[in-house]
Amino acid sequence: MGAPSGDDLLRLYELMVESRAFDDACMDLLAAGEEVPHFHSGAGQEALSIGSVAMLRPTDEIVYTHRGYAHLLAKGVPLATIAADMFYRRGGTNGARGGVMHVSRPDLGVPGREGVFGTRFGLAAGLALAHSLRGDDGVAVCFYGEAAGARGPLYEALNMAVLWNLPVVFVAENNGWSVNSRTEWLFPGGRMSTVWSGFGIPVTEVDGNDLTAVSSATARAVSRARAGGGPSVIEGLTYRLHPHIWWDDASYVPARELQAWWEKDPIPRQRRVLEEEGMAADRLDDVERRARNRVAETIEAVRGAPFVEWDLEVGVEGVR
Amino acid sequence: MSTTVERRVRTVRESLASTLGEAMAADESMVLLGETVRAGGAQGVARGLYERFGPSRVIETPVSENGIFGAALGLALSGFRPVVEIYSADFLLAVANEIVNDIAKWRIQHGQPGAQLPVLIRGCMGATAGLGPEHSQSMEPFFFHSPGLQICVPSTLENAPALLDAALESRQPTLFLEHRKVYELQGSGTPEPRPAAEPGTAEVVRVGTDLTMVAWGWMRTEAEAACATLAEHGVTVELVDPRWIRPFDYATVVNSVAKTGRLLVLEEAFITGGIGAEILARVTEAFPGRALVATRVAMPDVIHPYHAEMERQILPTAADAVHAALRLVRNQDES
Repeated sequence: MGAPSGDDLLRLYELMVESRAFDDACMDLLAAGEEVPHFHSGAGQEALSIGSVAMLRPTDEIVYTHRGYAHLLAKGVPLATIAADMFYRRGGTNGARGGVMHVSRPDLGVPGREGVFGTRFGLAAGLALAHSLRGDDGVAVCFYGEAAGARGPLYEALNMAVLWNLPVVFVAENNGWSVNSRTEWLFPGGRMSTVWSGFGIPVTEVDGNDLTAVSSATARAVSRARAGGGPSVIEGLTYRLHPHIWWDDASYVPARELQAWWEKDPIPRQRRVLEEEGMAADRLDDVERRARNRVAETIEAVRGAPFVEWDLEVGVEGVR
Repeated sequence: MSTTVERRVRTVRESLASTLGEAMAADESMVLLGETVRAGGAQGVARGLYERFGPSRVIETPVSENGIFGAALGLALSGFRPVVEIYSADFLLAVANEIVNDIAKWRIQHGQPGAQLPVLIRGCMGATAGLGPEHSQSMEPFFFHSPGLQICVPSTLENAPALLDAALESRQPTLFLEHRKVYELQGSGTPEPRPAAEPGTAEVVRVGTDLTMVAWGWMRTEAEAACATLAEHGVTVELVDPRWIRPFDYATVVNSVAKTGRLLVLEEAFITGGIGAEILARVTEAFPGRALVATRVAMPDVIHPYHAEMERQILPTAADAVHAALRLVRNQDES
């Protein structure tokens, strides 16, 4: 699969808008004093998440991040499901046990997410090893941020992936920050992937706010893995436009720097790309309106739905 | 799955190897992975399996516990049944995050409480002769605290193959902890039919009326010696080997104590926060209003010395159990 074009691009744009609308709605609820459990904004990173996941088949797996609404949407998980898990309403995937941090849809290639950053690398290697042992051409894609990417399990999994020639792609989401620590305080040269070129595998740096660049890089990495070419690493340079989480005032973020990244916001940028390709403005307006309305309706419906029924006995071992 | 054990089987080590081989032969989705498994594993339990099943079923891994256990989770989520060998159970602490925070919790936090997650983690543990403080520990208490994990400790040639089969058959995350001294135990072979070994079932090793003794792993062998000595002192002991540390068969212990009125737990792990502490607590709670006549014999809270003789003098033994049992029986008689 090559980089998307035409109507495919429009569909991806709609996903980006949908993800941003969800993010904005959560920010608005927080501003209004409402609880939005475990919400971690993914605003600003939509091109990287969606541009890469869109290159996958339903039978490929992703290991998404805690800012992973865009990854999940692009993999086909309905927004209503994500919102139901987030707000502990019926219709989610985990009965309020894992909330939005542990959305799973194994049938869509979303096995779940670990709770402490780092397990994801071995997990992705294991998912890829399963493809390899079965002899199918599935691929596992593991997204990670600055926190997980600084942990040793990445080294272990990469070594195993190269050793066993596994069909796995690691996508580093360099969004400038690890909570309130700058990427360059944590990784040499502020890059999360340069050291991995020592493994002799493709390590590609892309403009993570450029949907087409991300898609092209991912398509290359995934085709290579599918064809038995083994693992690779992609580092997408992007930016976390909102604070880490609700209690974070992000006062450590320099205003100018933030402003500069808002000017590189991937969504208006993608709209310009589509306009340059000849997409009519009113058609784009229509897509945006539809996506935003759908998100508003979904959130209203989910928040108006009954809470999931608790079963405190689930998982409790019988005392013999 | 075949329940026969070949006649040539002489030791627990060989019986585990042959049981694992049979299980792998019966199910192609079962893969063994770990350090040194290609050449038979740390203790020879994987001997011959690479030659028999090849590199896609017996997967030699780098010394990368976090990577290996993460991969085992990924394999299990993809429909495989990984058996992961840990080189020494002490090293489970290097990968406690993957075990406790991910493998144990995965099904519940992803809304699949009834789902199988067939990750069997097995390896050697326990003190032998001066392997030092990070290759000798009894690891079950470190993981006992975690919901979502099963813990099994085989103790004899009779029960080891049945327990390994039951652990594999349960298809739930299980730590299968093989004591280094138990590997060498011999016997007449596994009886037919095999003893019941389902998770959470204890074995009443011998019946008695004066005292209930609970011991597992290598301590079961020490306990049997203690029981023989105590019999010479006119004390008859009911010996219970729980075999499964989690889920634990408290009912069998409680029923026994209801009869004997006295409880002694013999445990190789450090005494503080050991399994014995929980057993005493549970049995106490089962008899409200009654003072329990109970004690623990365990490893003192000191690290294992490298010097073998120094270690030998610290480890709990049959003699320690005899002294403690006599104290329990006689103090109560005198009071």
